[in-house]
Amino acid sequence: MTGLAATSFFPAAVQAAADGNPLYFILGAVCGLLPDTLDFRFARFFHRHTLEVILDPNQPDPAMIADAVAQAVALAVARTAPVTLKLNTARLGANAWQAYTVFFDRPQSRVVATCTGPVTTGSAPLPDSAVPAAARHATSTRKLAAGIVTDGDPEVKVDIFDGPTLRFYKRASGELGMEFLPWHRAWSHSLALAAMTGGVLVAIWSWTAGLVACAAWSAHVLADQLGHMGANLGYPFTRHRINGARLHHAGDGWPNLITVWASGLLILWNLARLTPASPPSPALLPLLVWGGVVPLFAAWSVDRLLARRG
Amino acid sequence: MDTLTCFFGSAATAIIAAMLGACLGAFVPSLHILNLLAVLALAAQSALAAGAPFPPEAMIVAVAAFLTSWSLANTIPAVLAAAPDEGALFTVLPGQRYLMEGRGAEAVWLTVLGGVGGLGLLLSGLPFAVRLLPPLHAILRPHYGWIIWVVIVFMLLSEWPKGNYPGPAGWRKWMRGWRGLGAGLLTFLLSGMLGMILMYRSPLPPEQAFQNLMPAFVGLFGVPGLLFALIAHPQIPAQHQPRTLALPPRLWFRGAAAGALGGAVAAFLPVVTAGVGGLLAGHATATRDERVFLVSQGASKTVYYVGALLLLFVPGLEIVRGGAAWMLTGLYAPQPAADSGLAIGSVALAAAVTLLLMPVLLRLTLALVTRLGSRRLALAALALLLVLVGGLTGLPGLFVMAVASGIGLIPLLYDSRRLNALGVILLPLALNRSAAGPVVARWLGLF
Repeated sequence: MTGLAATSFFPAAVQAAADGNPLYFILGAVCGLLPDTLDFRFARFFHRHTLEVILDPNQPDPAMIADAVAQAVALAVARTAPVTLKLNTARLGANAWQAYTVFFDRPQSRVVATCTGPVTTGSAPLPDSAVPAAARHATSTRKLAAGIVTDGDPEVKVDIFDGPTLRFYKRASGELGMEFLPWHRAWSHSLALAAMTGGVLVAIWSWTAGLVACAAWSAHVLADQLGHMGANLGYPFTRHRINGARLHHAGDGWPNLITVWASGLLILWNLARLTPASPPSPALLPLLVWGGVVPLFAAWSVDRLLARRG
Repeated sequence: MDTLTCFFGSAATAIIAAMLGACLGAFVPSLHILNLLAVLALAAQSALAAGAPFPPEAMIVAVAAFLTSWSLANTIPAVLAAAPDEGALFTVLPGQRYLMEGRGAEAVWLTVLGGVGGLGLLLSGLPFAVRLLPPLHAILRPHYGWIIWVVIVFMLLSEWPKGNYPGPAGWRKWMRGWRGLGAGLLTFLLSGMLGMILMYRSPLPPEQAFQNLMPAFVGLFGVPGLLFALIAHPQIPAQHQPRTLALPPRLWFRGAAAGALGGAVAAFLPVVTAGVGGLLAGHATATRDERVFLVSQGASKTVYYVGALLLLFVPGLEIVRGGAAWMLTGLYAPQPAADSGLAIGSVALAAAVTLLLMPVLLRLTLALVTRLGSRRLALAALALLLVLVGGLTGLPGLFVMAVASGIGLIPLLYDSRRLNALGVILLPLALNRSAAGPVVARWLGLF
């Protein structure tokens, strides 16, 4: 939606759409989704890892997990190049996965691996009786060669579908840093790349196409930057992700809804004012207040009220 | 007719239609509401032609009540008669996972409660909708074409690989991940081409044009699941009837609100369906909890069906969305201001009747599922579909259904999103709205 909202600010795109040419809005939609599409459909499969944890789902051994993490950290301390560790999930059955967590205890320079028991594909805990007997809820701790500075939550959860990748690297301060999902937002979420894509489209298509692509791509990147993970905004000129504003988590409902709702209102406002023969455009501020703040506040109030009642 | 007779007559019509809709919804799996409404419309037309003594406004009551109760009760077969095979279980919807955990009844109740919550939100939002929708439609009218296109883009680009992929990075791993994604794209493309053929050179005779898409829908969405149940023969575990539901009011509200939002968007936009509405709402609100997901799906489906019908009664809007509305306008031209009370009352009454019937319907269906087992249940449903499709559309319809079933099997075999089969309506209509439909039809040699 942020990509479409950005597209709707271009009069030529709106007028073309009203005349039956949807290409600029399709371009805006594609470029608005492309950063995540590139990561989740391509980059993740080509990101090489140095070590990987393949857990026996029926005999989950937290010591093996902790050993693998400790080994990865020791390698990262010994080498100049970063070390990447893939924590694979362990599928127990059709609808059951063996979940585990890896906690980086920075003050004590140690890692705590815990097998947290079987869960369903919806991440709901399964009773132990639902799966073959095994060592469950077991914990193992290993001393690490260095304290780890994580770029987000110090506890990494591994449960369903594809497991996360962790990248250990030496920071400028000499400490060892840990990057969660190093393939995500590494190069695809770059404002520079968005500008370059726009430049290419200006050359081969039109100014409007170039600007739409750049704006839609950038809108996605900037919206993501409000979260925790951050992005490598300057790729190919920069090499590392910078932290996000940490205003919300990716899975939080309200920030997502507010972003989508606000984008919808902006699209509506732009379509009304930029489409020839459209009904008079509502003023932006009353539209945002009466169409956005009031209904969302009402819904939020009901949500809070119900939360208090349990 | 005096007011009292009219009132009781309407109430009786609504209750009978609601009971009929609930029973058909609960016991007839894989059949679309349009097929049932087509039969209802034919019966009504015959009755009116024979001089049956009921006012034409009764059609509003009958259709609104039937649609409401069907949309709530058809959750029962959607969950209980759609047992997936063991290997596909982790990629199917939570409803089927609940079924295979013996919690099918719980999933049904969560979905139905979502539908009721969605209806509550829909009816309470009607005063605002009456004022907001006409100007909104006026603004969006020239833009519906690209909106359909971006829905397609979102559908195709928002599906992520769902497996676990150990092993070295590289092309082999990428191909494993893309197995399902590629199947999804292929499903969309093939179903879209089928839609083009049906639109430009349908093998169905012109007198059956009103059922043009029916065999394709049955083939794409109904038959594959039943074939899978026949072949894989999944064992449905014993089902438990829950005494209480672990659903805090907050989760119910969140699910119902998210689903109602998606359903309302789907009802208002042309071509977009409840499934797409649910998908959009799920993404917009970052729905994660399975209970919230089930509630939201129930709300989205009910709000989509009922909301699209109620759009007929918004003064000044003058749009017809959804098959039920098309069917109704073929029988009677509703007067938005005068008939809206009748429609809203019928919806509310039908929802109440269906809620009262639900425990009985659910118990009966569970007994049926337990007694027959998944294979015989699938066989019976398949036979019913063959009879209905064959009876309504003849051999050409059965041929279209067979082709569509082949396409509909792809997402089941390759663990991809079944929603992609909606290409059958999305692609032809998006192309036509952009004036590219005839060009593509010519490329395909359709004229």
